[in-house]
Amino acid sequence: MLAYAGPNLPHALLEASGRNAGPLTWNVDRAMPAAERWLESKFAPWTRSVLQDWADGALDHLEAVLFSRADDSAQRLYYYLCELQRSGAIKGPEPLILDIAKGPRESSIARDEAALRKLAARLGVDEAALSAAIAAGNCAQQIASPSPAGPNVCLIAGSPLPDDRMHRMIEGEGWAAVGRTLAEVWQDVGPPVDEGGDAFVALARQLHARRVDTRGFFDRSGTLAERALAVGVGAAILWLIEEDDTTVWHLPAMRAALEAQGLPVLVATRRDWSCRDGIDAEISAFLAGVCA
Amino acid sequence: MSAEPTTKPSGQRSRKDLACTAAASAYQKQFGADLRRRVVDEGEPFAIVQADTPHEIFHVMGIPIITNQWWSAYISAKQLSNHYFEVMAQAGYPKNSCKYCSLGLACTLANDPKTAPWGGLPKPTVLVARMTCDCIQHVFGQWADALDSEFFPMEAPAWEHKDPRWFAHSKDQWEQVYDADRIALAVSEMRDLIALLENRTGRKFDEAKLHYLMERINEQEGYIWEAAQAIGKARPCPVSIAEQMPNTMIPQWHRGSDWAVGHAKRFRDEVIERIVAGEGTAANEKIRLMWIGAGVWHDPGFYQALEERMGAVFVWSMYMPFAGPQYIREVQGRPMEALASRICSMNEVLHLPPWMNGWMTSEAERCGIDACVVLLPPENRLSQSGTKITAEALEKAGVPVLMIDADMVDAGNWDHDRMVGMVAEFLQKRGLA
Repeated sequence: MLAYAGPNLPHALLEASGRNAGPLTWNVDRAMPAAERWLESKFAPWTRSVLQDWADGALDHLEAVLFSRADDSAQRLYYYLCELQRSGAIKGPEPLILDIAKGPRESSIARDEAALRKLAARLGVDEAALSAAIAAGNCAQQIASPSPAGPNVCLIAGSPLPDDRMHRMIEGEGWAAVGRTLAEVWQDVGPPVDEGGDAFVALARQLHARRVDTRGFFDRSGTLAERALAVGVGAAILWLIEEDDTTVWHLPAMRAALEAQGLPVLVATRRDWSCRDGIDAEISAFLAGVCA
Repeated sequence: MSAEPTTKPSGQRSRKDLACTAAASAYQKQFGADLRRRVVDEGEPFAIVQADTPHEIFHVMGIPIITNQWWSAYISAKQLSNHYFEVMAQAGYPKNSCKYCSLGLACTLANDPKTAPWGGLPKPTVLVARMTCDCIQHVFGQWADALDSEFFPMEAPAWEHKDPRWFAHSKDQWEQVYDADRIALAVSEMRDLIALLENRTGRKFDEAKLHYLMERINEQEGYIWEAAQAIGKARPCPVSIAEQMPNTMIPQWHRGSDWAVGHAKRFRDEVIERIVAGEGTAANEKIRLMWIGAGVWHDPGFYQALEERMGAVFVWSMYMPFAGPQYIREVQGRPMEALASRICSMNEVLHLPPWMNGWMTSEAERCGIDACVVLLPPENRLSQSGTKITAEALEKAGVPVLMIDADMVDAGNWDHDRMVGMVAEFLQKRGLA
């Protein structure tokens, strides 16, 4: 079976292989000596858990793990794991990388197509199987679950969340919460893929245009403002973890875009991904103030 | 508007043993003045580029470039870095955002000609960066917006051919070492960049000129590599890294020019002269040190601080020996591809395993290194990357390693005496002094 780590991956291709084990999971609420030994401080927190699991043999049941080039921590972890395996320090599944190029030009799209064909060859997936998986994936997308909306909803934006622990904090204050967890970001299959033409070309174009990752070229503050407006939220939290080196550059514009809608905004930067840094009390005070 | 800069620098100047060091600094100072005249006073088209982009294209087309890292070091040397970090904080950017690549953006956002070097940069034709980390495209994108210009991103594609001994084959077998498809992608992007520059500036690119430039660069980097080889073998070390850096980097900003080739030769000759005369950078060399990381531009005197007291000499930093494996290229009748092979992994080999640890452990052996000091910038994933695995490889090879949390352009958490004391204590603790 094949698991994956990172955003902006070709879910239809993984499904077509018949060996998709889904995303890797994480548990950062524990000691991780292997991660401390080999990973530097600025790596995304989930990488620590994955490296620890790898070193502990917890992933030995997998044949391979596919990492995304569309996330810097994911791609660096790929090289670390390859080297640690080469040196004999760890064992475990084979690390693979999908070279997702995001540059705004045709050569980057061609690079994505080549990367998809290479991965398909590695997984034994032909174009017919990929086309079928794309069609099935497009169908499944039409059944979408509703998410909360309205003035009693608090939007969480910024760094992807570890799980729903911040949602629960907000719900504890009598509000509903919308905000994406990292697992949701990774599992997001994106908009429908064009059907009818070359499946690899279509999938490459879809991946290239995706807006889920840290390397995509798009207006992040505008996208956030649209979302806040669409949901009709009554408050927003801009939450950035210490290791974030992408959204930090858009924080002033994101804050301004939300405040331009008249929304109260709690800005919390350099935070602990595990949310054990007092963010619960800050959220409580913030939402109480909004109510008042 | 921004507050006036207030800084309390603790950095110290470095001692210069070579005549050519002053010559390089003087040339760069004059170049800076000329560049300022050309782009600020005369409004000549220019580009802002990252260090790991194909400068050669701009040189061939006669388009001046301002390298972001050089501009950052320039701002830092003017003791303005803390001021601009504060400007960014006031603008709402978190204080832990990556500092090395964003000083130039901060200077532009401050919009304060009275304080800014050169009164601030005018609008460039284009800004160019390879997307080697997650933050650079955002920094350059916003910088381009602030300057009302255009950002030209270049891919930093995944590299699946992982040869720990890449440095042994990169000069002539570059197509195998760096992957033919990665080279082809970089060539395609460079052709797009050339088209953009020709359209915007009216200046023409000539591939024959590039071929000639590549050969001249080979000659230049050959002198630097020859000097690096000699320094590795010489006892005592004739030149500290405090002087290796400017004599490598300044010509490299002008690579392939008559001055750069001539200066590299002069530097090599002065190095050899000192070796022949038995002159060392320290009077009594006892410990040969390796420095891993970018230069601490705000405290160049750090590198020579323990020479007399402990005989501890910084013999190695990446800049000079990098000239051999990463710059010299057999052109093989394909200058664009040879150039692409130079730039398509310039960052990766310095910051990712297995290339980083493979090269640095080999270099430690070549240079007879006794101990290593690694810079670990707390807020820069790219610069941190590979350091722990490399440190472990060096320790395994018998080289003790000290890792220090500090930033190459942020003097805020740097105290000269404390850092020197930390290195001294480490050397004593590990039985080297």
